[in-house]
Amino acid sequence: MIELFASPTLLGLTLLGVFLGITVGAVPGLTGTMLIALALPLTFTMEPVAALVLLVAMYVGAVSGGLISATLLRMPGTPAAVMTTLDGYPMARAGRPGRALGLGIGASLVGGLVSWLALWQLSEPMAEWSTRLGPFEYFSLVILALALLAGMGESTRSRGLLAGGLGVLAAMPGVHPATGELRWTFDVTALNEGFRLIPVLIGMFAIGKILDDLTGADGKVEQANGEDGAWVPWKTWKTQAVNLLRSSGLGTLIGVLPGVGANVGSLAAYMTAKRASKTPEQFGKGSEEGIVASEAANNATVGGALIPLIALGVPGSVIGAVLLGALIVHGLQPGPLLFRQNPEAVYAIIGSVLVANVMMFALMLGGARWIARLSAVPQQVMMPVITLCCLWGAYALNGQLVDVVVMLAFGVIGWRMEKAKLPLAAFVIGFVLAPVAEENLCAGLMASGGSYAPLVTRPLSLVMLIGAAVLLLRKNNVSAPDTSS
Amino acid sequence: MTAFSLFRRGMVAGVFLGAIFCAAAPFPEKPITVIVPFAAGGGSDTFVRIFLKAIREHDLAPQPFVVKNIGGAGGTIGSRAALEAKPDGYTILCLHDGMYTAQHYGNADWGPADFTPIAATGRSGVVVAVVENSPYKDLAELMADAVARPYQLVYGTNLGAPNHYSALFLQHGKPGAKFRFTQTGGGAKRLAQLKGGHVDVTGFSVAEYEPFKEAGIRALAVLSEKREAALPDLPTAREQEVDAIHGLMQFWWAPKGTPPDRVAYLEKLLRQVMETSTVQARLAQLHVEPEFHVGDDLQAVIQERSQDLEGLQLEKPAALPPVHWLVLGFVGLCSVWVWREGKSV
Repeated sequence: MIELFASPTLLGLTLLGVFLGITVGAVPGLTGTMLIALALPLTFTMEPVAALVLLVAMYVGAVSGGLISATLLRMPGTPAAVMTTLDGYPMARAGRPGRALGLGIGASLVGGLVSWLALWQLSEPMAEWSTRLGPFEYFSLVILALALLAGMGESTRSRGLLAGGLGVLAAMPGVHPATGELRWTFDVTALNEGFRLIPVLIGMFAIGKILDDLTGADGKVEQANGEDGAWVPWKTWKTQAVNLLRSSGLGTLIGVLPGVGANVGSLAAYMTAKRASKTPEQFGKGSEEGIVASEAANNATVGGALIPLIALGVPGSVIGAVLLGALIVHGLQPGPLLFRQNPEAVYAIIGSVLVANVMMFALMLGGARWIARLSAVPQQVMMPVITLCCLWGAYALNGQLVDVVVMLAFGVIGWRMEKAKLPLAAFVIGFVLAPVAEENLCAGLMASGGSYAPLVTRPLSLVMLIGAAVLLLRKNNVSAPDTSS
Repeated sequence: MTAFSLFRRGMVAGVFLGAIFCAAAPFPEKPITVIVPFAAGGGSDTFVRIFLKAIREHDLAPQPFVVKNIGGAGGTIGSRAALEAKPDGYTILCLHDGMYTAQHYGNADWGPADFTPIAATGRSGVVVAVVENSPYKDLAELMADAVARPYQLVYGTNLGAPNHYSALFLQHGKPGAKFRFTQTGGGAKRLAQLKGGHVDVTGFSVAEYEPFKEAGIRALAVLSEKREAALPDLPTAREQEVDAIHGLMQFWWAPKGTPPDRVAYLEKLLRQVMETSTVQARLAQLHVEPEFHVGDDLQAVIQERSQDLEGLQLEKPAALPPVHWLVLGFVGLCSVWVWREGKSV
């Protein structure tokens, strides 16, 4: 597999892909999905192996680059980086942006490597396992994830749930995910598709933050002191070893599941780390464990999401679908026979996960010192630039002005929610997961002839629902609300 | 960012050069946008890109053709965009039988009659498949059970999409047979659900099925008039006394009111593209029959496909919970909870 990367062309392409990926990941408003969709037609003229290597490298870069804007600006480039904002940003504000970046970069590398190992050695059993989860299990898994929101960040349980519920509510207008019927569109054609993720995400975090700064609510940023460096000593990693491995493992395992992988992976790893931590009160205030858990897990989901593609020919993520298309355009037949018929394509995908992660580590660590200085750039300079990026990013997504309007509207909502101490991260996760939950619940009900019984008669589903109930009911707090959403 | 700005520059340069060199040519004098109403990387997207690649490689058109992916809602978002596009020949749509089924199912209130068809290019056969250890050895056994135990066999479909209609044709071809339909999404998702035992039976295009046939699933029949060249051992539904014919055809549509000379130009171009060795070779790989229909022949194909749907019986699936109202209630409850907490502090 590694012999493939003895070719300078492939190495160069990986470097290019990782670099472009990190760039779009770090700029609020630009996303890896956008980059990959733009690059896809360009790869048609390339050798299949080269095309696959470039696309995978872009994906790895984009997932990793998201931690830069999440940490320094509190603006996640993808939903997968949402959890990183919770601790990365406070740490950067406290004068240690370099340290926050260094932790994130190192954790990303470990997450990437663990998932690479799983992709290489365990694809088949993990893919087989993933097909055993049916619609009811997916629904219960999302409910479990939504219950996790209750304990998130600094907010109270009720506020976490309310923010998550509002996110779910915002996902309701548009096409019904299972039946295709329209609802709550109020005869506005532009609403048929509902609100798109990217305008909502940029609006909530970036525009909301800008409004917040404009209204002068922001405090002073601590200047970075001399001891702030991105090179995290070995001793620190040793104390984080358990957290690193657990988070990477969770990320890989959950990453295998299409539709829920990247987002639930980092959420689950973060909340598990908080539960296991000796200092859970630090979470949300700049906890090192929080950054490590989120970043290890979200990079691990990249490899995880490729597992069903390699083993079954089923795409586990957006990149999976694009790679599938790239295989077909190049005349390769995706599916379980790919390994036998075109092993070089499989090794190109697996190998580039490894090489791209290593390059990502080198590039980002090398650049971290300069990147960290961004947090010292005065707001008067930073804000107009970010605003322009956001406006352009929202528009460029589909060339529709309505996306810009949606972004601005959610900016106002995000700003008001912050004032009311409702966690934005919970909103975004609710928004992303709602269609997955609804589609699977409805699919399950159609298959069971309208019976809800499988939710509790299928063992895995039952375990997850009990877990959700325990999360909601534990400790002293008032009654548990209805979780049937 | 770099890739995007390069791409934009390329487009601008293309338009500019085009304006210089093709000032005399009546049509096209700027790039033509092909709307693909599905996500990049999917089957339809790949199909269109193969055509556009051939146009480029064989230098068949003076202007570039550009794909615009407008996915979502089973292709209806993209087809609506084409419906509302300016009828000047610079925006066209490529959409398969989903054009007919979405209207028939009620997911779209427009259909083939609201467009000017340009051509039909290529037909894919459809197979009915079960998991390897399924008790059903052939289609006749499966359908007999669907008659004996109506609404018990779970059929994985994408509701309102062509694969749902394949199943409706099966039911139609065997009086008394009833499936229980469930939403499972695209081909890859259906494979995972079939393997995991979450659905009993589902349909694939021949191209989708081919790579999976050694991966633990088994086809029972192909819904074509005669056996498919790629699967010579697989009997048709008719051979098994189930009178069901269905296949997937790719159609190219222009908005209604597009000038006939421009439609004629596109028709001629598509014929040339279809005849290139590139397209022929790639379609063979994807097990797409290189059928080509234009003019009266095309009208007849469209007529026949629309009429075939007329006879089908639609039953909406089981009543589903009003999730959006439940969510609204949940948010209301949480608001009260937050408000009371705020008061008690």
